[in-house]
Amino acid sequence: MRPGVEGRARVSAQAKLMNIYLPIAEMSVNVVLFLGMGSAVGFLSGLFGIGGGFLLTPLLIFMGVPTAVAVGTGSMQILASSVSGAIAQYRRNNVDVKMGAVLVAGGVIGSVVGVSLMKILRQIGQFELFVSLSYVTFLGAVGALMLIESIGTIQRQRTGQAAPVRKTGQHSWVHGLPLKMRFHRSKLYISALPPAMIGAFVGFMAAIMGVGGGFVMVPAMIYLLRVPTSIVIGTSLFQIVFVMAATTLLQAMENKAVDVVLGLLLIVGGVIGAQFGAAAGARLKGEQLRFMLAALVLLVCLRIGWDLMVKPTELFSIGPVIGGGA
Amino acid sequence: MRRELLACLLAAALAMTASAQEHEGPPPDVPAPTVVPPPSQPKETVEADISTRELAVTTGFTGHEIVVFGAIDNSQAPKEDATGYYDVVIVVEGTPFPVVVRRKSEVAGLWINTSSITFKSVPSYYAIASSRPIEEIAGPLVLERHAIGLHHIKMTPAGNTGAGYKDYELAAFKAGVIRLKKQENLYVLEPHGVTFAGRSLFRSTIALPANVPVGPLVARTYLFRNGEVVSAHIGRVTLHRAGIERLVHNFAFVYSTTYGIIAVLIAVLCGMIASTFFRRKTA
Repeated sequence: MRPGVEGRARVSAQAKLMNIYLPIAEMSVNVVLFLGMGSAVGFLSGLFGIGGGFLLTPLLIFMGVPTAVAVGTGSMQILASSVSGAIAQYRRNNVDVKMGAVLVAGGVIGSVVGVSLMKILRQIGQFELFVSLSYVTFLGAVGALMLIESIGTIQRQRTGQAAPVRKTGQHSWVHGLPLKMRFHRSKLYISALPPAMIGAFVGFMAAIMGVGGGFVMVPAMIYLLRVPTSIVIGTSLFQIVFVMAATTLLQAMENKAVDVVLGLLLIVGGVIGAQFGAAAGARLKGEQLRFMLAALVLLVCLRIGWDLMVKPTELFSIGPVIGGGA
Repeated sequence: MRRELLACLLAAALAMTASAQEHEGPPPDVPAPTVVPPPSQPKETVEADISTRELAVTTGFTGHEIVVFGAIDNSQAPKEDATGYYDVVIVVEGTPFPVVVRRKSEVAGLWINTSSITFKSVPSYYAIASSRPIEEIAGPLVLERHAIGLHHIKMTPAGNTGAGYKDYELAAFKAGVIRLKKQENLYVLEPHGVTFAGRSLFRSTIALPANVPVGPLVARTYLFRNGEVVSAHIGRVTLHRAGIERLVHNFAFVYSTTYGIIAVLIAVLCGMIASTFFRRKTA
């Protein structure tokens, strides 16, 4: 992803009256534009029931926000948008706190590794590349799987076939691992290692990509750990809240990459947009929503991939010297 | 393209002097003054000042225009307007910082950063305003001696980061820095940015963009006659963070742990406020 100089020029050309200077990103941005961006992403996250980090972070980079600040501030916005959901799920007793704690423990370790790796990658000048490649890989894989699944469901409904019944209760390799724990709420007796590993992976992604990671954690919990579907959303939100809090703190300490002014703009916009999105989403069918979301995910993936593949008009880039790196 | 531009600028410069002469009325048959004044006269010197000495960067900062103005003491300009006899060049330079320049090349179908050079000190901001294009004012040697002009900015590779690069490759990296800085409006050329008002007064407006790096700026004013510097003056503007902007920035860099905790608290609080507010509304 290339920082958009054009984007910056466009912003500065607009009425300067509504501009605000971001203290960490060190740029002057249009308040209305960024509030609008926050609410657009909020609308989509409310519509699809997703965190929206995978949309917001690339969008911020396209607008000229430095990649590190976009990723760091993204985690602050995700924290805010997950808190209300997590509280609601906890009240409905949909959180397996023990499972959540294991996921959080793994997540914090993953986040520490991710933030440290980010520092090294910034020093050697490969951070932007790594972020782009991670986005293309994950969005491509998740988008393709969702697209196939939703098209299958839509076709089956047209032809009147029943969905194939998933075999339950089967033991997989997950059940052969040591350190077994009893997770009462999920009615599971499994090793603590797989949830910790999933948590760590999601925490790592959160730090590097500025996403919540729900789109990886939810399928992993359902298909690998066999956690009941009713518990999955609440427990993953529980993990996201704590891991995002840790990531925000680490990004502020290690990379000085959290811009609270930008964060507040995005949070305020996001909260408003999410309410409208949730209302609109209630009128659409699940598989229709999944199809639209898959298309959106693949579009973002292609856009980022395009920038990597096509010869850029400017081969050079300049940046400050970070740390003691060459 | 470049020649056309130059020709265009020249024409503009000629038109300006021509119109100036029309206003003054008397003898149009005298072209450009070439007479060197007798040595008995006192040497001309330049005095200059800047409209703003200190500039506060607050959350409302969207850039600022500074005016560099001055006068030529003991002006020997033969007519009412100093244009053509004297040339004034104003260089405003920001604090130099080390900069990493990276170059992308194609690796297995992907465009990735493959080579980099760290330049020890690159001015964060560099604006040149002159009474006419600097190439017309003085020769390259004079300009280089006084570090006037984008191509005379001294960029030396730090440590051994420049080792193994040929001269033309180094030049390409330097040109890259200048091009990118120009795109960000941080390197600015104003070939007719200095205007004379009468025999000895001149002024120039220099726009500092919103993204101008915070720190001291040095404004050098040069007085040229016949392609040589006859006098120079140095002034300073300091850009410093102020208000909430300063508070937030200092906090983030000095007390980064506390800053991080506050960022987390803000996010959690916002989320909780939103959930209670909208639940009440929808319930």
